[in-house]
Amino acid sequence: MDFDNSKPIYLQIVDFFYENILKKRWNGDERIPSVREMAMMVEVNPNTAIRAFNYLQDLEVIYNKRGIGYFISPDGYDKVLEVKKREFMKETLPDVFKKMKLLNIEFKEVESSFENYKTDEDHEKK
Amino acid sequence: MITLNNLKFYFPKGKRVFDDVTLSFVAGNIYGLFGKNGEGKSTLMRIMSGLLFPKSGQCRVFDEDISKRTVSCLQNVFIVPEEFELNGLKITTYEQVNSVFYPKFSKDQFYELIAEFELSKDQKISTLSFGQKKKVLIAFGIATNTKLLLMDEPTNGLDIPSKSQFRKIMASVADEQRCIVISTHQVRDLHSLINHVVILNQCNIAFDYSLSKVSNHLWFGKPTQGPQESIIYAEPSFTGKSVLIREDREESEVDLELLFNAVLNNSDAINNVLKNTYHDHAV
Amino acid sequence: MTMQFSLKRIINSVYRDVTVLRGSIVTGLSIAAGILFIAFLLNLGFGDHSITAEDYAGTSGLLYVLFGVLFTFSIFKEVHDQKKNHLYLTLPISPVERVIAVWITTYILYTVAFTILGVLIGQMAIIFGSLFSKVNLHFISIFSEEYWKMITFYLFVQPVFFYGAIRFGKNRMGKTVLSLLLVFLGILFYNFLIYGMLNHDFDVFSGEQLASEAFNLAKKDFSITGRWLFMIILGPAMFLAGYFRMIEKEV
Repeated sequence: MDFDNSKPIYLQIVDFFYENILKKRWNGDERIPSVREMAMMVEVNPNTAIRAFNYLQDLEVIYNKRGIGYFISPDGYDKVLEVKKREFMKETLPDVFKKMKLLNIEFKEVESSFENYKTDEDHEKK
Repeated sequence: MITLNNLKFYFPKGKRVFDDVTLSFVAGNIYGLFGKNGEGKSTLMRIMSGLLFPKSGQCRVFDEDISKRTVSCLQNVFIVPEEFELNGLKITTYEQVNSVFYPKFSKDQFYELIAEFELSKDQKISTLSFGQKKKVLIAFGIATNTKLLLMDEPTNGLDIPSKSQFRKIMASVADEQRCIVISTHQVRDLHSLINHVVILNQCNIAFDYSLSKVSNHLWFGKPTQGPQESIIYAEPSFTGKSVLIREDREESEVDLELLFNAVLNNSDAINNVLKNTYHDHAV
Repeated sequence: MTMQFSLKRIINSVYRDVTVLRGSIVTGLSIAAGILFIAFLLNLGFGDHSITAEDYAGTSGLLYVLFGVLFTFSIFKEVHDQKKNHLYLTLPISPVERVIAVWITTYILYTVAFTILGVLIGQMAIIFGSLFSKVNLHFISIFSEEYWKMITFYLFVQPVFFYGAIRFGKNRMGKTVLSLLLVFLGILFYNFLIYGMLNHDFDVFSGEQLASEAFNLAKKDFSITGRWLFMIILGPAMFLAGYFRMIEKEV
């Protein structure tokens, strides 16, 4: 895993979890790699991995079964969706809006592009 | 716990190495030991393993003076030197004759590591390349399960895939029982493994903090706005990367190279910021 | 707290040293075997066409001491090799154990091995000789007073080389032999002075006699009481000195 220099590594690990959950690679009540396995995969100090796990546990995206390991919460997908949605609204969107204003792009232009994108995706899936 | 108190050391030819070094190392951490060439990283490791004796001051390893070289003390320490020669035995023979001296040696672990390093245990050490010999020694050192593991430039001589193997292995091996100290120039090789930084400069310790403390108080990156006073060090290059007092910014990852340059440039400023724990951010 | 003395560790240390030096040991014994074979044949050829116990000691004695000294030096090579000694010195073996282990290897094991070698080679030489000349087939005999003298001599001489091997990093054999020579010269000079001082009043001798007398006395010192005095004190003293040297060795 290559690290983006600005974001703390533990948060990048969290992002990696988010991606797997949203893409439904990891589902509710499924066992995920242990702290140590994660540390090895990502080649980081186990303390950093623990930090990521604690962060996710605090958000109740994962839970720990003593002696067995870590699992995705049954409502893990929903929780992650909520977190990422909030992030999108609070962080990604304002940046987009800023650029739109700068470039004099109207919302209507974006709206139709988005509709086209959605229909293209559906066509590809079929 | 390993403690060095008021260590003073110089070579007979007169070159001063340490004036007054006080450090302590605790299990459960991977320490990164940094410093310019010749600042004494290897010398420090040799003092910590009893190969050199301090001129004054003491290095105590688990409450024994390591320079006495008692068996009980030496059983707790293993050093992987930067340069070395191994006897030309087969890997299995090498393990057989040397592992008996380390009570916590795990043969299973050793051969697992040898396999992970893509070596065959029946190979003769004399036929291996330097990088491969290094892997044998690293595997052996880890398998001794000593409480203190010292590595002097471990990635020197390893090719890129081997460095990745090394990192994976270190990540799996670090635990609460072990204290690992790695000295290195190759910051990029090891920055994700290290969780505590010690920087040697001009015969003294210029920096000795955990990375969590550093990321709590300092911020690394390109400053967009804000008062110039919070910039502690700015890289005089195109990137304009700087080290700033973190204040309210989001936590950034610690850029070890930048930190190193900053400390060498202005260690007082950085140490002052870190000593001040008033604005401690929750982790 | 682990004891600083463990028989198991000593045995492991002996095993390690022998394994590490396996190559040199085999080479050394092979060369010794070759030289011994020729020496025994010559012994058989000239003389009474048999190898008595005295013959055995006489023939192999010099080689025994010489190769023993070489072996002692090679066992400490690792201590002085800049690239190998980090690992050697951090092995958890106490200096006492190291000294004892090395002595067991370079004296006891060595003597046994060399004696066995001598017997085998000697016997082969006898068989060889009996096939091609008028040598009678007989069993070689080894244990004689000369044999024990040889072993005892080595017992007391070896510590000096033991210490020399630890103490000197470069040109070790040269420096050790040089030191021995200096000691001998010292004794010579000492006798010269004392004898001279005590006897100058009595017109007992002339100038040349002084020198030869001194030399004789020095030789005597070195031979009878002197030998025992020097060796019994010197031997253990050398081991002790070697032990301290090991404790202090810094790399």
